[in-house]
Amino acid sequence: MLQVLLFLSIIAPVIAGGIAFLDKGNGTRKKVVGVTAALLGVSALLLTLYVPGALAYESGLASAMSVPVLVLDLALLCLILYIGWSRRHGLIMALAAVQLAGMVVLEFFMHPQTLDGSPAFVVDSLAVTLVLVVSLVGSVIAWYAIGYMKEHEEHLRLLETKQPRFFAIILVFLGVMNGLALADDLTWIYFFWEVTTLCSFLLIGHDGTDEAKANADRALWMNMAGGVAFVVALLYLQQASGTLSLTALTGQIRHGGSAAPGLLLIPLVALCFAGFTKAAQAPFQSWLCGAMVAPTPVSALLHSSTMVKAGVYLVLRLAPLYAGTYVSTLVAVCGAFTFIAMAGLAVGQSNGKKILAYSTISNLGLIIACAGINTAASIAAGIMLLIFHAVSKGLLFLCVGAIEQKIGSRDIEDMRGLFKVMPKTALLTIFGIITMMLPPFGMLLAKWMALESAVEASGAMPVIVAMLALGSGLTVLFWARWAGIMMGSADPKLVVGFEQQEATIGRSIRSLALAAAVLSFFAPMVYVWLVGPAVEAMLNAASPLLFTSESFGLGNSYGVFAVYPLYILIAGGFWYAWQETRRRGMAGETLPYMSGIQAAQDGKVGFIGPMKGFVEARSGNYYIGVFFGEDRITRTVNTVAIALLAMLLGGVLQ
Amino acid sequence: MIVKLFFGIVGLAVAPFLGGLIAGLDRKITARMQSRFGPPVLQPFYDVFKLLGKTPSAVNAWLVLCSYLALMGSALAVFLFFYQADLLLIFFVMTISAVFQVMGALSVNSPFSQVGAQRELLQMLAYEPLIIIVFIGIALKTGSFSIEVIYAQQAPLLYSMPLLFLTLGVALTIKLRKSPFDISASHHGHQEIVRGVLTEYTGPQLAMLEVAHWLDVVLILGLCSLFWATSLLGMIVLLLVTYFLEILVDNISARLTWQWMLERALASGIILSVVNLLWLYALK
Repeated sequence: MLQVLLFLSIIAPVIAGGIAFLDKGNGTRKKVVGVTAALLGVSALLLTLYVPGALAYESGLASAMSVPVLVLDLALLCLILYIGWSRRHGLIMALAAVQLAGMVVLEFFMHPQTLDGSPAFVVDSLAVTLVLVVSLVGSVIAWYAIGYMKEHEEHLRLLETKQPRFFAIILVFLGVMNGLALADDLTWIYFFWEVTTLCSFLLIGHDGTDEAKANADRALWMNMAGGVAFVVALLYLQQASGTLSLTALTGQIRHGGSAAPGLLLIPLVALCFAGFTKAAQAPFQSWLCGAMVAPTPVSALLHSSTMVKAGVYLVLRLAPLYAGTYVSTLVAVCGAFTFIAMAGLAVGQSNGKKILAYSTISNLGLIIACAGINTAASIAAGIMLLIFHAVSKGLLFLCVGAIEQKIGSRDIEDMRGLFKVMPKTALLTIFGIITMMLPPFGMLLAKWMALESAVEASGAMPVIVAMLALGSGLTVLFWARWAGIMMGSADPKLVVGFEQQEATIGRSIRSLALAAAVLSFFAPMVYVWLVGPAVEAMLNAASPLLFTSESFGLGNSYGVFAVYPLYILIAGGFWYAWQETRRRGMAGETLPYMSGIQAAQDGKVGFIGPMKGFVEARSGNYYIGVFFGEDRITRTVNTVAIALLAMLLGGVLQ
Repeated sequence: MIVKLFFGIVGLAVAPFLGGLIAGLDRKITARMQSRFGPPVLQPFYDVFKLLGKTPSAVNAWLVLCSYLALMGSALAVFLFFYQADLLLIFFVMTISAVFQVMGALSVNSPFSQVGAQRELLQMLAYEPLIIIVFIGIALKTGSFSIEVIYAQQAPLLYSMPLLFLTLGVALTIKLRKSPFDISASHHGHQEIVRGVLTEYTGPQLAMLEVAHWLDVVLILGLCSLFWATSLLGMIVLLLVTYFLEILVDNISARLTWQWMLERALASGIILSVVNLLWLYALK
């Protein structure tokens, strides 16, 4: 049974990708994507039957894959080397060559015993959490892409469709992410890791414009830099401990004490560095912002359910191994710094997709800060953030994609009064934004957990707390601003008008919105069922500070967040307010105050100006370029981030 | 549990009257400071009743929806405070109210409302981080975010966290939009007739926001009371002194710009609170 599920989660999407690539018909492509999405969803849900409890070890599938993975791994590095050569990109070639050399040394001279006694795949709660995120959210995004890409290509007026290639990569991406989550052997994780790098490179460059190519190159070299760190970690670990199995390593390190002995900190830092590059932490944020040139489903996939989540997953998974060390403190500071810096950059943006991009990186920073704070409660907070961020951010990207196709702009100033143009999409976008910043939704629950656990941070606590607090304030600022201007309308009655939505687009947006609402209500159950066990398994012990389900919500000795009553009260209050607003017709229409004679013309409001002419009222948001402009602070942000990374590396090399 | 629920409901029922009364006293004392006689103490109630009686009229329906939601958020936060719930939870619920006020103001294309909303967002940016840091400081000292536990402390918190109390004072001045931070909606007739973020809220909607503001005042004084929880008398003295100082500062200072607020008030608040956190952290 388990073998079948692993096959369905990892290999089946890759095979489906092959079919989608070879088959040029539109109809079959839709079926292939639909069936794969359904299979992924079902097998991910069935995998939860295996947790918590028995870890699934060694399987036939694993031994069958061992040689192919090795061959493919080397082939992949050669391919990237070739890409670097064909692009005349020296850095990519150099990074690929170093990794190739490292892997050859590892595989042919150090002979790691890949499958000797240690498991190939481990199905534990943390892995299943990531598999669920990838398989459910990722599948919805793939489904959305069917409608989106049709429109996208009509808009571009392509002579020959590039969709087979596009969907092939997307499906392979999903399978590979599942492999990354479930694999236990670090060489396998490394292989899947590099495949995601290649997939994102291909997807970012999909439209083939000069900008797309340049940004794809940047994504490739930054992630390859992380790959080099990964290879260094592999070589070091093999040399120092003789095993590359995560379970065995964890056991070994635990055996010696609570955390890693000094020497093993070097590979751990290298792996964290790899995680930072993949999660686009400062100073590597530019590759993820550049990825915005790709079609929206790609951004949605990279940001919410795949790629960047692999980075934070690795950092979270390793957290217990570097607990209580200098590394842990520095990881927390790096994460908190990215959290605040990227939230600041988001404030300075009017480009909707860039706001989403910076907010993603910012939230990933928060997850990494949680890993660095490194208490049971904070790791739990990090995992909760990973789950709820995926759903809400996926929803927001899909909404912005639909908006962009309709109004031809991704600038939030052009979304003023969007409710009039796209009532349903605007409402769902506002809902998505609210799930990111207000209680009782899951993101806020997770943020609450993070802030409560920050009190217990072992090192640099005041600094971390100050950065988390400021970052939270900035987050509210850029979200509230965007949601507010979209509501604009001059209708005294609350009527949700008709809106034509393409079937796959409409359905996928609605299903993610529903998921965000329902999951937030059942957040304590999600916690008890997945997150709590994951943390307990990682720490190998129950911790007194770990949150438990109590008082109709979640809580520990520090405090309680009563999710259910709060949710019901707020939902009830909202329902009442909505009904009252609809019922209560306004006596008379009025026009906004203009400090003069207000007037309306062609649905626009303004005032009667000089010479009795109509002057339209215009307004724009504060973007506060002085403090938060991209061109103003990026350099400072990168400098500080590089200094922090240098401290992380330097401290460990001593 | 039942007792706490009872406290919560009673507290929520009493809070609007208390808040209105404080607003009346505030106006009276302010008037005396300005050598005026001032309105009757119950004037805020008369104002709100009059507003409620007005024919409803609004530019769009979002203003109505948002004023309901803002009032709901403030009421829920006050309820949670008297229920003695988690401080950070109360903080998050408090933001519901602030966010919906701003969103309503942003839904109208009026320059006054728009500028007011943007400024209100900046005020939120200035006070939210300060309040979070103060709460985390309290938890660092007492080992809990629960108001119940904090009220059970043996020594007043003010002794060990004077700088955090000062920071809270700054944050509260910003939150209550008192001078010099009445940037998004001036409260004083002599300064400005158009009230920024509140410009487009009229009649019953404005009344609801006014009540929400009273509830916010009660909540905020409640938060100040955490710093002297050992005796009722001490608590009352602390609150009276704090609120009197708020009124005094309100009257002797002119409105400053949001740049000043972010560069000076927020920055100094962060420095003060982190210094206090540092010694609490070192002693822990």
